[in-house]
Amino acid sequence: MKQNWTTLSLLEELSCTFGPSGCEEAVADTIRAHIAMYCDEILPDPMGGVLARIRGTGAAVPGPVAPRRLMLSCHMDEVGFMVRSITEEGLLKIASMCGSDTRVLAGRRVWVGSAASQVRGVFGVKPLHLIKSEDRDNALDIDELYVDIGAESRQAAEEMVHVGDFGTFESDFISFGMDDGYIKGKALDDRLGCAVLCSVMRQVYEREICPCCDLYFAFTCREELGISGARTAAYKIDPDYAIVFEATAAGDISGTSEYRQVARLGMGGAVSLMDRSTIYDRPFTDWILQTAREENIPCQIKQYVSGGNDAAHIHKSRTGVRCAAISAPARYIHTASNVVAKKDIVSIEQLAMAVINRLCGEKK
Amino acid sequence: MRTILKKLLQIPSVSGREARLGEYIAGEMQPYFDTVETDALGNVLCRKRGEGKKLLFCAHMDEIGFIVTFIEEDGYLRCAPVGGIDFHAAAYSKVVFENGRYGVLIPEEGTKPEDYKGDAFVVDIGAKSREAASCLVKVGDCFALESSMVSLAGGRICGHPLDDKLGCAILMSAAGDAASFQNDITFVFSVQEEVGLRGARTAAFQAEPDFGIAVDVTLTGDTKGAKPMAVSLGKGAAIKLQDKSVICDGYLAEKMARIAEEKGISYQKEILTAGGSDTAALQLAGAGCRAGCVSIPLRYCHSGVEMADSKDIQACRDLICAIAQTKF
Repeated sequence: MKQNWTTLSLLEELSCTFGPSGCEEAVADTIRAHIAMYCDEILPDPMGGVLARIRGTGAAVPGPVAPRRLMLSCHMDEVGFMVRSITEEGLLKIASMCGSDTRVLAGRRVWVGSAASQVRGVFGVKPLHLIKSEDRDNALDIDELYVDIGAESRQAAEEMVHVGDFGTFESDFISFGMDDGYIKGKALDDRLGCAVLCSVMRQVYEREICPCCDLYFAFTCREELGISGARTAAYKIDPDYAIVFEATAAGDISGTSEYRQVARLGMGGAVSLMDRSTIYDRPFTDWILQTAREENIPCQIKQYVSGGNDAAHIHKSRTGVRCAAISAPARYIHTASNVVAKKDIVSIEQLAMAVINRLCGEKK
Repeated sequence: MRTILKKLLQIPSVSGREARLGEYIAGEMQPYFDTVETDALGNVLCRKRGEGKKLLFCAHMDEIGFIVTFIEEDGYLRCAPVGGIDFHAAAYSKVVFENGRYGVLIPEEGTKPEDYKGDAFVVDIGAKSREAASCLVKVGDCFALESSMVSLAGGRICGHPLDDKLGCAILMSAAGDAASFQNDITFVFSVQEEVGLRGARTAAFQAEPDFGIAVDVTLTGDTKGAKPMAVSLGKGAAIKLQDKSVICDGYLAEKMARIAEEKGISYQKEILTAGGSDTAALQLAGAGCRAGCVSIPLRYCHSGVEMADSKDIQACRDLICAIAQTKF
């Protein structure tokens, strides 16, 4: 049982944990260790997710949004790769498992292995003078990339890693910028959602908040693959309302037209209206936006229709689920250095708490 | 039927924003069914309990359209398509917002036709600034091409969006014969078909039918330059065998064809090589069901000038009633 943690310290721990899609055990263990005492029950999940339940009082929920069961969902996995084969020279050929852009891989440090142990490596590419001039402008094909783990032969490499092992970026978690107000690290998509929801669970426990409806906190697997663990989680939990806590690509960088920026750092959680796989429940979404307004919590509407998340599967589960999504704006998503603003993390956590507070009955 | 269709065309229902239309349809269907309910996604499920097998008929309420994503400094709106918008067919059209406001959909100056897609388009609602525009519409508001319907020669009608308000009108009209239905019958008016058959799936999960029959439009092979396809306007109800999303249940398709023959209803077999339908979602929901589709032949689908034939519409209605009246 972990104590004396903050959202940020937990985010650092989670960010540095090894957890590409399909290999989330270490992340799940960390999360379980932080939340076990703050929930009534953790449901078994064969997909490997952590599904934690906080029992509601069963009283009538005041207000227009009255869930029977509310699912708060985030995903534990991060973009990564799998070792596909090992060359004679002891280099690893890989299969990508996400929308990682090969241009951001070359020269990066990585971890390769399993949830239990990993070895260091780097993404190698041909030196520039060996690349044909016509190919210099093109993004590399994943087949041309390799990971160098410092093995002198296939045999030596096989003592360190195996075909089927997983890999992700190795990347420090650091605070930087004005007033140390920004952080950078890997896998903030979506360990940030995980850290926020862990923190929310603790607040509900410590402040003795008694929601009328059951709250289910779902830490899901394999979102980045699209083979969402959220699908089976939602089937099991059978919620009538769900909120997905995510990270979304912030395009507030030079050269992007204003209307294509999606979300801007420092402006609060980005609430989705529609993306490529979900049309979010409008009354529920409006209610969340109104809650933010009334409590003076910064938040923004996610501009532009792009991306998709676990809501894709959750909203179509069983007889249908009313879904909303709140995303942390993150620059350079799916690279080794995601950048987010600390104050957005605070805003998102406040908004989640404000939502839960509104699902409570009269104070005793 | 025409009166019903006209009424449906007046109520905007871009995917995800079907609530108003759902409310209207639910009210109209109340007298004919034992229960009428709306589920979490907005599907309207109308059930008439009965002996024997559970049959589900499903027409989708939603239409393709657009969603406002951004309001520019100078009052122009940016938008994204909702469903399969053909920007060539939509360029320079009048559009209507849910609140009745008008605008026009215009490509940016100098955009080549081959670059016609969402980002190249703006909506001009006549507002001179972001402030002025923000008073009239908000990010997240939806709009669609202005609806219309005119009669053409030979009993044909032309308008928009006949996909799939025609299917809804046919089911609503068929509901008038509900007293004669055998079986346990559910009519579903589904949501979000145009964005990925989303509503039919949750509706079918709830209804758990033995047989699921979509009622939707299909393309025809009788337009100029059309791909080979054995469906023509005016040749009757189309019984779907497959489309890109589904291979229909052979037993059900055969049974529907036999019923049509027995009742003297003109029909044709449909194999659609582009596009999907709620049939696929019905088939795979829950533990699955035998799925098929009664299709209404439609020319120029997803344009502002979709065209259908009254004889086909009548044949589809007759076939649906005949199926519902046949003991399964």
